[in-house]
Amino acid sequence: MGILAAIFLLSAAAIAYEIFLIRLLSFRFWPHFVPLIVSQAMLGLGASGVAIQLLRRRIASNPGGVFAWLVLLAAPSFDLFFRVSLFIPFDPFLLLWRMSAWPSFALFFLLLSVPFFLAGGAVGVPLSFGIGRTGPVYAASFAGTAAGAILALPSFSFLPTESLLRVPTALGIAAGACVLTFPSGCPRLSRASFLAVPALLLLVSPAPLSPSPYKDLAAALRLPGSRVIASRFGPSADYRTVFAPALHIAPGLAFTFDGEIPPQAAVFADGEARGIVPVPQKGVLPDYLRFFPAALPYRLVTRPAVLQLGLRGTEGVLAAAGNGASSVTVIEPSEEYARLVAEDLLPFSGGWPDSVPVEIVTEGARNFLARDPRRFDIIEFADISSGTFSSLGIHATGETFLATREGIRASLSRLGDNGVLAVSGWLKVPPRESVKILRTIRDELENGEVALAGDRVLVIRGWGSFAAVARKEPFAPPEVERARRFCGEMGFAVVWPREGGAGLSTDPGERAVQDAIEWALAGKGRPPGKALFDLRPATDDSPYFHRFLDLRSIPEFRRILGSQWAPFMEWGVMFLLLSLAVSVLFALIFLLLPPVLALRRKGEGGLSLAAYFSCLGVGYMLVELTFLKIGILVLGDTIRAATAAIGGFALFSGAGSALSGRLGPGKTMGRMIFPGIALLSIAGFLCLSLSSPILLASGKFWQASAFIASIAPAAFLMGIPFPAAISMLSRADSTAIPLAWGVNGFFSVCGASLASVGALWWGFRLTVFFGALLYLLAGALFPRLAR
Amino acid sequence: MTRIRNLVCLLLLSLTAGTNAAGAEDSYLADRLGMARVLVDRYDFRDAKVLSVMREVPRHLFIPRGYQSQAYADHPVPIGEGQTISQPYIVAFMTEILRLKPTDRVLEVGTGSGYQAAVASKLVSEVYTIEIFESLASTAASALSSLGFRNVFTRRGDGYYGWKEKAPFDAIIVTCAGAHIPPPLLRQLKNGGRMVMPVGGPFLAQNLVFIEKESDGSLKQRNVLPVSFVRLLGH
Repeated sequence: MGILAAIFLLSAAAIAYEIFLIRLLSFRFWPHFVPLIVSQAMLGLGASGVAIQLLRRRIASNPGGVFAWLVLLAAPSFDLFFRVSLFIPFDPFLLLWRMSAWPSFALFFLLLSVPFFLAGGAVGVPLSFGIGRTGPVYAASFAGTAAGAILALPSFSFLPTESLLRVPTALGIAAGACVLTFPSGCPRLSRASFLAVPALLLLVSPAPLSPSPYKDLAAALRLPGSRVIASRFGPSADYRTVFAPALHIAPGLAFTFDGEIPPQAAVFADGEARGIVPVPQKGVLPDYLRFFPAALPYRLVTRPAVLQLGLRGTEGVLAAAGNGASSVTVIEPSEEYARLVAEDLLPFSGGWPDSVPVEIVTEGARNFLARDPRRFDIIEFADISSGTFSSLGIHATGETFLATREGIRASLSRLGDNGVLAVSGWLKVPPRESVKILRTIRDELENGEVALAGDRVLVIRGWGSFAAVARKEPFAPPEVERARRFCGEMGFAVVWPREGGAGLSTDPGERAVQDAIEWALAGKGRPPGKALFDLRPATDDSPYFHRFLDLRSIPEFRRILGSQWAPFMEWGVMFLLLSLAVSVLFALIFLLLPPVLALRRKGEGGLSLAAYFSCLGVGYMLVELTFLKIGILVLGDTIRAATAAIGGFALFSGAGSALSGRLGPGKTMGRMIFPGIALLSIAGFLCLSLSSPILLASGKFWQASAFIASIAPAAFLMGIPFPAAISMLSRADSTAIPLAWGVNGFFSVCGASLASVGALWWGFRLTVFFGALLYLLAGALFPRLAR
Repeated sequence: MTRIRNLVCLLLLSLTAGTNAAGAEDSYLADRLGMARVLVDRYDFRDAKVLSVMREVPRHLFIPRGYQSQAYADHPVPIGEGQTISQPYIVAFMTEILRLKPTDRVLEVGTGSGYQAAVASKLVSEVYTIEIFESLASTAASALSSLGFRNVFTRRGDGYYGWKEKAPFDAIIVTCAGAHIPPPLLRQLKNGGRMVMPVGGPFLAQNLVFIEKESDGSLKQRNVLPVSFVRLLGH
């Protein structure tokens, strides 16, 4: 019983460590580096299998002792190795141009992988040497994973970010206590005294967490006189508000503004700028907020009822109030961010303006759009170029369900008579977001009763930003004239509709923007950026609005790198591809070749075994992570989806593992289990995605219930193939079990990267389908394992 | 305390400069000429005056010792406080586009290493440069002083507000990115003056914006180059 408890607790600690690592690294660095670092660190799981394989003879003399020490060593490793990693002079920013940064990077991720290695070994040794029955051991691991994922969610709210690793450390101590009585050939007292190390780590202050010097928060904190005036932490992010006299944030402000910007505070989410809070000026709304292209819709609609999708400090509400809104409703998925702004910053901000009623609704924007029957005169998508529309918290995955065709459709459906959908953002060179969002709007307008959407859209530009308004009815000439007057006053320019040849700019840069907008709205001319970018509208099946990289363009990017500048490269996606490549490389080098060759010498079946467990590793991650991604839409935010998906899959798979020993002969596996997994995973996913329009409008209970119901049957069966195969191997050739464990670990990491790559380029449905196919392939390989 | 630190920095830099002048300087000369070749060959940069200045100014002496070996490479280099010295091409491009004249008085916002000010100072009458970080401001001031750049005037402060006492300027060069053009800087630009500044959102391709103030005070702007700069703090 002690062994199962130890495995349960250590598995909980390992998954909590992984989830917290994402937060900690998001805070220190940038989100798009996180998957690379975490997936490489998780290679420790696979490496543990290799280590067991290589050391199996020595371990065989005392497997119980090795198991006990792995558990005891894992307990302090979560906190200890993270603390050590802080001393590595590593900054991902430097990877771009300093080769000498790469060894530091390797050392950094090796340190983070140590806890995974120890925890993986602590599960792999019992499986490999028959300490306990396979099914219950694997079930305890799954159950621990479920418990750890569920425990992680409240931990974000109760513990400051710096202290999160106390949770896996405490779980590790508890796991260590479970193995004190385990026969290990070592005095119990010395093992007990070893637990003093993690206990001591719980007592000392957590390691200080400093963001990269190139991050927004670090830059703000370096300003003379800066100070943190409020902070909150929770599942969505770590929020800190910094005030500094030298903060003057007004992205896209018109040249014609000649006044003073009031003192400001800035809110940072995981170290990245999220919103502005201007200091109130004797009850007068800040004047500068009228001098942005995003103020255009307020010149077209009088006293509008405004819906803002995403909170931007207090600035968004103040801008709406200052531009004449009659009411402002803000949808913000993050409760802690909403409370920080509305409650904690109240003494600083002076609260919401008295002139308009303000309502902050904390739920997913798509959920609100589906549920709330109200109609609005202006629906604002502000700054689509920023992180505002990235998913919260673990936003490395970058799902943006608001900017998909379905998201735009939902927004258009909530517009009142002559109401407008307003989008704004930066103009990149070559234009990207602006073009993609306008194409999405056009496709949605033309998808309805409108034949040509061009006369239903107005686009203006400032010196570096754009604003567009769209609605179902055409804009009348007086409205277009009002837009032109607004541009004249502010020094902006109308980009669409064009004024014939006379409106064309002679400047190549200006002309490129005009051509790009015309291509987006009228389909004329050539696509911008020499067709380097994928500018097709995103959909709910592949909700990656900010994915612009066309894989076919990589050679061209490679050619211009050095002669043009780095941001062309869409680094977030490139790091994901790099992550996949490195995972596969590691798996092949460290795992497949030497052991497979060794097994071949002893007999047949090595490749079948490796292929079988590779299929399980990749297939499981493809299915689980794709459910997680659609869960972000249905459940409203990333962290809840991650908890439900990781916890749910682990729980039901654990139940499947526990029952795996009761299954009959291999025929049951071949005829029932593998086809069942394929069928149920596809069916579950289709049910969930097809019913999402209904679920989005339902209550949280029904959303969660439907999500769990859709994953439960497939997840239950997915827990069976691994322990069933291990049991079979233990009867036939027990020396291959560590290899199986290692293969599964390595290819789970590959599967995690592949799931993201698949979602980005193939869409969710094809990714799940591919995962199901891998299970069918595993089913075909299963009978070969007995040979 | 600051004065003592400045003196120590000055002393160290003097010693370093002496050493470089004797021996290491020659080894960097080849790098400097190589950098100029890259500007011509890779970027088709043809401004003879700017090229001449960049062949002359010892960029490595504006860079922390640990990074000096990369001083002339075709990329930015960290200089501390989360700031970088811009890629040589960006320095060259920003200097060229301002069409500097020997009589010009130039304001630079974001002294950083002091290198951009040093390059500009060879082409104009006076350069006024502001840096918000004390450590960078004092290091750059020491470097500029020890290398004999007598027409560069440094100050620590918030560059957002410019240098009102010395305004107006013929040209303003902002060497760190911001999300808007500070109105005080536009006010301090002479009619007929030119200004260049990288602008854009955080971690996006930023645009290098070129602004001309017409004789009637109206402003004309165009985006001239996508770039990536360290952000203008608090901006």
